[in-house]
Amino acid sequence: MGSVRIENLHKSFNGIAALEDVSLDIREGEFFALLGPSGCGKTTTMRCVAGFESPTSGKIFIGDRDVSNVPANQRNCGMVFQSYALFPHLNVFENVAYSLQVRRFYQGGFGTKLAVLGNMLNRKLGRVDKETEKKVRDALDFVELGHLADRLPGQLSGGQQQRVALARALIMEPAVLLMDEPLSNLDKKLRNSMRVTIRRIQQKVGITTIFVTHDQEEAMGMADRVAVMQGGKLVQVDTPTALYSNPGSTFVADFVGSSNIFKGKVKGTEASGTVIQLEGGQLLTSAFSAKREDVEVIIRPESIRLAAGEPVDAGDKSIEGTITMSTYLGPSIRYDVQVGNMQIEVDKTFEAGTPLLPPGTKVYLSIDPHLVVIL
Amino acid sequence: MKKRFLESLSGFTVLKWFIYLFFFLFLLVPLFSILLVSFTGQPINLFGSLVSQKTLAKTIEKLSNVSLEAYSSLFEGKGYFDALLNSLKLSTGVALLVTIVVIPIAYAFARTKMPFKGLFATLCTIPLVVPTFISSYAFMLMFGKTGWVNHIYQALGGEGVLFDIQSMLGIVLVQVFYFFPYALWPMVAAFKISDLTLEEASQNLGAHSWYTFMRVTLPLAMPGIVSSMLLIFTVSFSDFGTPIILAPKDLNLIVVEAYREMAGFFNWAGSAVLTVIMLLVAAFFFWLQRLVIKGKEYGTISGKPTRQKMNDHKGVVSVLTTYSFLVVLIPVLGVASIFLSSLATTWGRHALPDGYTLSHYLTIFSTSHKNILNSLVLAGGALVLSVVIATFVSYFVVRRNSGGLDFISSIPLIVPGISLGIALIQTFNTAPLKLTGTAILLIIAYTIRRMPYMIRSTMSSMMAIRKDIEEAAVNMGASNLLAAVTVIGPLMLPGIAAGAILVFVTVIKETSISLLLAPTDWAPMSLAVFQNLLRGEYYTASAMAILIIAIVIVLQYLAKKLTKDQLY
Repeated sequence: MGSVRIENLHKSFNGIAALEDVSLDIREGEFFALLGPSGCGKTTTMRCVAGFESPTSGKIFIGDRDVSNVPANQRNCGMVFQSYALFPHLNVFENVAYSLQVRRFYQGGFGTKLAVLGNMLNRKLGRVDKETEKKVRDALDFVELGHLADRLPGQLSGGQQQRVALARALIMEPAVLLMDEPLSNLDKKLRNSMRVTIRRIQQKVGITTIFVTHDQEEAMGMADRVAVMQGGKLVQVDTPTALYSNPGSTFVADFVGSSNIFKGKVKGTEASGTVIQLEGGQLLTSAFSAKREDVEVIIRPESIRLAAGEPVDAGDKSIEGTITMSTYLGPSIRYDVQVGNMQIEVDKTFEAGTPLLPPGTKVYLSIDPHLVVIL
Repeated sequence: MKKRFLESLSGFTVLKWFIYLFFFLFLLVPLFSILLVSFTGQPINLFGSLVSQKTLAKTIEKLSNVSLEAYSSLFEGKGYFDALLNSLKLSTGVALLVTIVVIPIAYAFARTKMPFKGLFATLCTIPLVVPTFISSYAFMLMFGKTGWVNHIYQALGGEGVLFDIQSMLGIVLVQVFYFFPYALWPMVAAFKISDLTLEEASQNLGAHSWYTFMRVTLPLAMPGIVSSMLLIFTVSFSDFGTPIILAPKDLNLIVVEAYREMAGFFNWAGSAVLTVIMLLVAAFFFWLQRLVIKGKEYGTISGKPTRQKMNDHKGVVSVLTTYSFLVVLIPVLGVASIFLSSLATTWGRHALPDGYTLSHYLTIFSTSHKNILNSLVLAGGALVLSVVIATFVSYFVVRRNSGGLDFISSIPLIVPGISLGIALIQTFNTAPLKLTGTAILLIIAYTIRRMPYMIRSTMSSMMAIRKDIEEAAVNMGASNLLAAVTVIGPLMLPGIAAGAILVFVTVIKETSISLLLAPTDWAPMSLAVFQNLLRGEYYTASAMAILIIAIVIVLQYLAKKLTKDQLY
């Protein structure tokens, strides 16, 4: 087990920068997600850690060991590939046994080498030793696939293949587990259950895990910390909750959950916070910010209170608007509200028995100053 | 720095340099030294110059006498120039004729509801499995002075023979009927690809279907047609089997001329010049073909199949069907003639043999079993060598982006068999690497000649293996080499096997290299057939030819099966 430290990583392909000055400190046992849109450099970062790409400059440490120049096959990183990359000609057992067999091949004497190679080329040409056999069986039982040991990968469902890939990566007891979009090939329902399975296994084993994904829901739901990347650079590294409630940029705010993002001007400062002038009205925020006059304001849809008829707050801080669209989302209702020239999205918890407010309804919006982020 | 260098010198890198060395020794050096010889007029021993001062001095002396004399004799001594001209005429004629013959068939395959498409497609593979010198012999059995076609012709009231088979016309006809499948499938693809909506637009504007075909369909298919025309040109130009059998004494063709200069007179200067010229012509047309298809690669497997409206006009379909049947039938009749001849006691006085016997087969198994064995050993050797080299070349090209190897290994595509043979003989004729006349050089020559085809087969199966499969193996601790052996190798096996069989098959068919390089002890079956024909032992030759064809058909069927039933 080990921590992973990335220092000033740069990577360019044919002169085009794919990674620029990425530095990360991933703690031992941490579940760490790299999140970003495609082409943001998250996969390149992971492939640098795995050793499939060599950095243009920068250093990578696994534990205390500088692995920057260590070949990929000596880094001891278990990897789960997006397509699982199971060996189609080997059955489940042999797939999982592969890393152990490779180890035995390199460490054993000539006789062992021959036996192992024979077995890897054709299962009839050599036996797997008892210890390997037991380890593989245990690993397969661990991911609840013991009964499918003799199947070929092509005969397994997507979820089962996923678990074989996981067992295959874990059995080598890697210092760090790398997962490259491992859920993207599964349907939604399976994805949700695999999310729980992977998280549970990671907790049980306690292994440092780097998880690459473009799906913010996955990253937020599984990771201890998330690094958001954009255009080859790190944008923000934080816990999921901090990322959500305190996005450092409009990009993060927009990428992580849905957000209302407005331009505004700082009007003045009161004892309770800063007052910001938006197009549709004034807004009080508890955040003290911005020497600048022009700011951007980020408000999560569920942070806005909405009331029909009378203003909720007695004060003059509520904003008046008109509903333009109501969308029923199950647990909540999404109202699109027109305030002046602004469109504001508001989420309201759905209460059984209460009808949806129809478009055209006049509403008053008010916002808790604590829940407003200004940038 | 030094340590990094030693580390990079892994098993793989060493292997890569070995492959480079192989191509360097047996392809580049021979071609280069034949080029030198064409200027010096005397044999040059490049390897000898490396190890012996004396040879080096001699070589330098020869090189100082460089002249264009040999080339100028090309224009003075009329022989060579005539040979080149005749060969160009032949190839141009064959290329044009094949195109004209094939266009209706290609159209029928691609655009009409012609019946028996499957059967025709199968029959179209027949011409390709028959070595050209055997197909020439087949045409002699049909159209020769005592050929059965001429018997029928005379019975119908004709005088003499339909035409003289041992003539330019004979050679053209054999090549047209036995090379047309090379052009057929690219043209079918070309017709399939051209946009149907444009044709519909044309018809919608009131054009007749004939007009539409000439002004819309044909021009759209043109790049494909031109490209296959050029391909046929190159194939015809390099073909040795047909002219060696059918060319009359007064018809000079460059391949035959080069062969005679080498095998008959050991005229280094002459054969070198002819070799260089053949190479240049083949290379030029190869380059031209690439130029035409550049950026117009017709994806035959990729892309979604566009819905084609098939022409089902009754008259058109039945005319095209009859026509296709006739064209496809002729090569089949040729093979049938050989088969009949292999069973005949004597044949020639009537349209059918006088009697039937199996004694010719007994003869070849009793007297020529050595040739059969030789063929199998030589082809086996070429197979093993090709498998090893092709597998690693495709690995380096596909996975390690080794453009250099890709280039070198495709050079043999443009080298006619006779040219390669002459270059190899010249280079390895003397110590220190005296390999001429050994089975080793023969095997190497076969291997080099068939390498591009083998590599194509292994490369496509290599490309079908996703890169992450290999990365997974490396990630789990395997070195590149171990990953290649335990994962990539087994996954490539069907592709390798198919390619290997094809190498085996083509080696058994190979004529030019065998005739030039095979020592008497190692005479393969094709050489035996050839010698039998020269000695007038026609029936034995037929039996041996049938044996070759049978082996080829069985093995090609196997190869096809292997690529189809990919295990995973």
